Amino acid sequence: MNWKRATIAALTAAPVIGLLAWGMTRDPNDIPSPLPGREAPAFQLAVFAPGQGDLQRPVGDTVRLADLRGQVVVLNFWASWCLACRDEHALLSTVAREYSNRPVKFLGVLYNDVPDKGTAWIAEMGGQSYPSVDDPGARVAIDYGLYGVPETFFLDVNGRVAYKHTGPVTSTVLRLKIDSLMAAGAATDATSGASGDSAKADAPGKNVKARTGR
Amino acid sequence: MTRLLASNAVLVGLVITALGAILIPVAIRRGRRDWLMLGYAAVYTNFVLITVATLALVWGLVSHDFSISYVAQVGSRATPLLYTIISLWGALEGSIVFWAWVLGMYAAAVVWFNRKREGNLVPYAAFTLLLVALFFHILLIGPANPFLLVAQVLPDGPGPNPLLQNHILMAVHPPLLYLGYVGMTVPFAFAMGAMFSGEVASDDWMRLTRRWTLSAWGFLTAAIIAGMWWSYEVLGWGGYWAWDPVENASFIPWLTCTAYLHSAMVQERRGMLKLWNLNLMVGTFVLTMLGTFLTRSGIISSVHAFTQGTIGFYFLTFIAIVLLATLAMVAGNSDKLGSTGKLDAAFSRETVFLLNNLFLTVFMFTVLIGTLFPLVAELVRGVKVSVGEPFFNRMTLPLMVALLFLLGVGPALPWKRAPGPELKAKLLPGVILGILGGAAGLLAGARSPYAILAFTFVGFSGAVNIGEFVSGANARVRAHGEAWLVALSRLVSGNRRRYGGYTAHLGIVLVALGVTASGTFKTEREATLKPGETITLAGHTVRLKEVWGREEKQRQVIGATMEVMDGERVIGTVEPRMNYYPTSQQPVPTPQVRSSLTGDLYLNLMAFKQDGSNATVKVIWEPFVSWIWFGGFVICIGSIIGILPARKRSGVAASAPASVRKAAAALPERQP
Amino acid sequence: MTVTKKRKWGALAAVGVLAIAFAWLIYGGLDSNVVYFLTPKELAAKGEKGYDVPVRLGGQVKPGSVKWDDKTLDLQFRVTDGASEIAVRSKGAPPQMFKDGMGVVVEGRYGRDGVFQSTSLMVKHSNEYKAPAKGERPAEMYKSLMKGSGA
Repeated sequence: MNWKRATIAALTAAPVIGLLAWGMTRDPNDIPSPLPGREAPAFQLAVFAPGQGDLQRPVGDTVRLADLRGQVVVLNFWASWCLACRDEHALLSTVAREYSNRPVKFLGVLYNDVPDKGTAWIAEMGGQSYPSVDDPGARVAIDYGLYGVPETFFLDVNGRVAYKHTGPVTSTVLRLKIDSLMAAGAATDATSGASGDSAKADAPGKNVKARTGR
Repeated sequence: MTRLLASNAVLVGLVITALGAILIPVAIRRGRRDWLMLGYAAVYTNFVLITVATLALVWGLVSHDFSISYVAQVGSRATPLLYTIISLWGALEGSIVFWAWVLGMYAAAVVWFNRKREGNLVPYAAFTLLLVALFFHILLIGPANPFLLVAQVLPDGPGPNPLLQNHILMAVHPPLLYLGYVGMTVPFAFAMGAMFSGEVASDDWMRLTRRWTLSAWGFLTAAIIAGMWWSYEVLGWGGYWAWDPVENASFIPWLTCTAYLHSAMVQERRGMLKLWNLNLMVGTFVLTMLGTFLTRSGIISSVHAFTQGTIGFYFLTFIAIVLLATLAMVAGNSDKLGSTGKLDAAFSRETVFLLNNLFLTVFMFTVLIGTLFPLVAELVRGVKVSVGEPFFNRMTLPLMVALLFLLGVGPALPWKRAPGPELKAKLLPGVILGILGGAAGLLAGARSPYAILAFTFVGFSGAVNIGEFVSGANARVRAHGEAWLVALSRLVSGNRRRYGGYTAHLGIVLVALGVTASGTFKTEREATLKPGETITLAGHTVRLKEVWGREEKQRQVIGATMEVMDGERVIGTVEPRMNYYPTSQQPVPTPQVRSSLTGDLYLNLMAFKQDGSNATVKVIWEPFVSWIWFGGFVICIGSIIGILPARKRSGVAASAPASVRKAAAALPERQP
Repeated sequence: MTVTKKRKWGALAAVGVLAIAFAWLIYGGLDSNVVYFLTPKELAAKGEKGYDVPVRLGGQVKPGSVKWDDKTLDLQFRVTDGASEIAVRSKGAPPQMFKDGMGVVVEGRYGRDGVFQSTSLMVKHSNEYKAPAKGERPAEMYKSLMKGSGA
């Protein structure tokens, strides 16, 4: 073996590997959303699935985005015909319950579907801890520039879109975003000293597979 | 039960593969033949285990066992049995299982056939094969595990991707592709074995794998052609090649492997290009992995994109390891790979092979760069771009035309020396037919210089390659007094490798004819018709009879019955359809083709009124398309001829009387 | 020694020249044939440079903007990304399920008349597994066409 040549040759592979590795961090099909950093489009939608326990909202109640100002909002667009939504459902429900006494609101928005089917789906999946609203005609989905389901929007305490997640959320993304947004909110408010024991509860050991199919 | 059996088979397979990969180098070091046999046994056992896992998955699909995650993902009770079975390779996890199975099969077979060979080449090749198999086992227990337990077992599943269950070619194209892709692992493993064992200066790794490489190449060629045919029949735009990353991924290794098939001959006969051949083979394998990575990781936008997951990271790591290791090995061994022969004549067959390799390599880099460029552009300039057909067509058309020309020149030239006076006789029919071909193209209305050149070279190369058969058979008739057809068949079976190659050349010529003609003379029209109205295109008239709907078990179908007219007479009906699958919002267009030797009438239903009062149809006339598929078939015949063992008999040149030998000398030299 | 060395350098120089020529050709080919992927907002922001170059425009079909003439096969709609919108005109039938609010990618050129002439229209599949909503099931929509089940 001529080790000098061997090393030089191996080094030439580095840029290619670097390029591919960098490519892994991109989604070529993701059309960049103009929303992050901007005011979240307002909406008022009627609840069709009430949620459970503390998080409950009566069916038919109208949720106005403006009323949620001051809290972190997790807006999850889903549908009963969407398989990837099944993957993230349990996680969303669990995390919403965990954060129930914190300034975070979870809201499901039904996309291109009918409430009856949505309700049946929730029952089949073993319930949903937070309420879901119906979006007839997908008007709100269009305002948010939705490309498909599931997509999840994280709004900060000032009602701006802080982050958009395409495809099923993972435990890490979900907790990280909520915690950092709450921390940022707490800093601007300067009211609360508790930054939150964020990394306490670990993800349920579920294999959440990305199955966005784009 | 099925699930447990399968996942345990994979797990045990993983352990055994790993043990075998450790044992073999130890056995070589210690010189223990018996341990080595144990290492080989690991290769065979792995094949048995992965076969069990694959069959179990198929059984799970067939028996609708929705507790298996893969079945829950792609299975459905409504899907017909055939499509249920082939959904084995319809999604990511299943395709990895199938890949591992094909790899296990190849590894077991090639080790078995070479188990008695002395020396360290085969042991190290087996070692390399085990390492690659180990990687796929890691995928199977990690990111591509199809055998996960489903927590909530549902009574039914969504069924396979509609595009994949809409056409029968999906039962053909993927297995061929895997047989071709995975087959490249065998020559790669032997190339690595040659470097590990120090037998790198000898040609043995090439000789031992010649048939394996050729069959992998044949499968890959067939897969590419079948893939083209599938997009033509299914995607509804009347084309068969769009330079999509997925298509490129299969084409790039084909280019390097084709180059290798030619340059390997230069090494075997003339002792040149040793380093180059190692590079080509190792490169072909890396490119198959890269292609798989590009299509499975979702880093490049494609119409055929697979689902994404963490599997990309595994592939990237594997590619990085393979790339670093192979580059270092090849460069480190380059001292030993000097040429033992040299180029004797500037205008000989070697020169044509060198040019062929140069063009094919440039071709490969062009397609590769074009495919990866969106990534580079985003990294460097932060813009999202796509590289479309214009780039690829502009850059590769000159190369294709040049290669088509070389395909006719090469067979006419002798090895080692400049051609003598016989060259004129060999090229004359080619030149005549070439001029005729170019003139025919011009008369038919082709105006692009590339198209006219392509028609010319189709005529030229076709005639020269056929001429090789004819003159060879004639020489035999003169020498032995055999009947002409007997002479032809003896000629071919006497030197399968050479005439298999020429047959493949003829197949390529046919494909080139089909591609050039359909690309140049394709015409299309789109119109909205009421029942009874007609549309005419390139002398073909079709009439809309009715728009109808039908409910099938797994889908709903809307179709338009179109009558093909000859004057007032109906000479056939074609029914383009739209298939609605419950899992897809979009209907799957299902164009229908009326094929003939001179061209295809391609009908696609684009839109229709809900009450059936009208339908918008696209009519495409594409001349000579079916010649592409036929050419692909001829290429496969060529590779089969090249793979079949040579007839055991005393060859013409060796034992025949002097007069015959003289006649045979007029033929090009025999291959070893 | 010197002869072989000279020959080696000569070969290297030849390879270098070929490689540079190749790189130059590729660069030229890419430079004039690359298609930019833009949203309406980005296309509008390009100003003068956005006209008459091949572009893939991605966005959503603005509700209520679709006009389709099945006699002339003329299709018009507006693509929006929430911030800007651009009028698109294309020849040929839209995909059967083409409708308001759906994600599309159109390929073509933006003309100075403010209309994007599209040569190909791709519907963004938001998800492999996307069932039609109520009233969209083909069996219901095309009831009058259904010949009966089975087959």
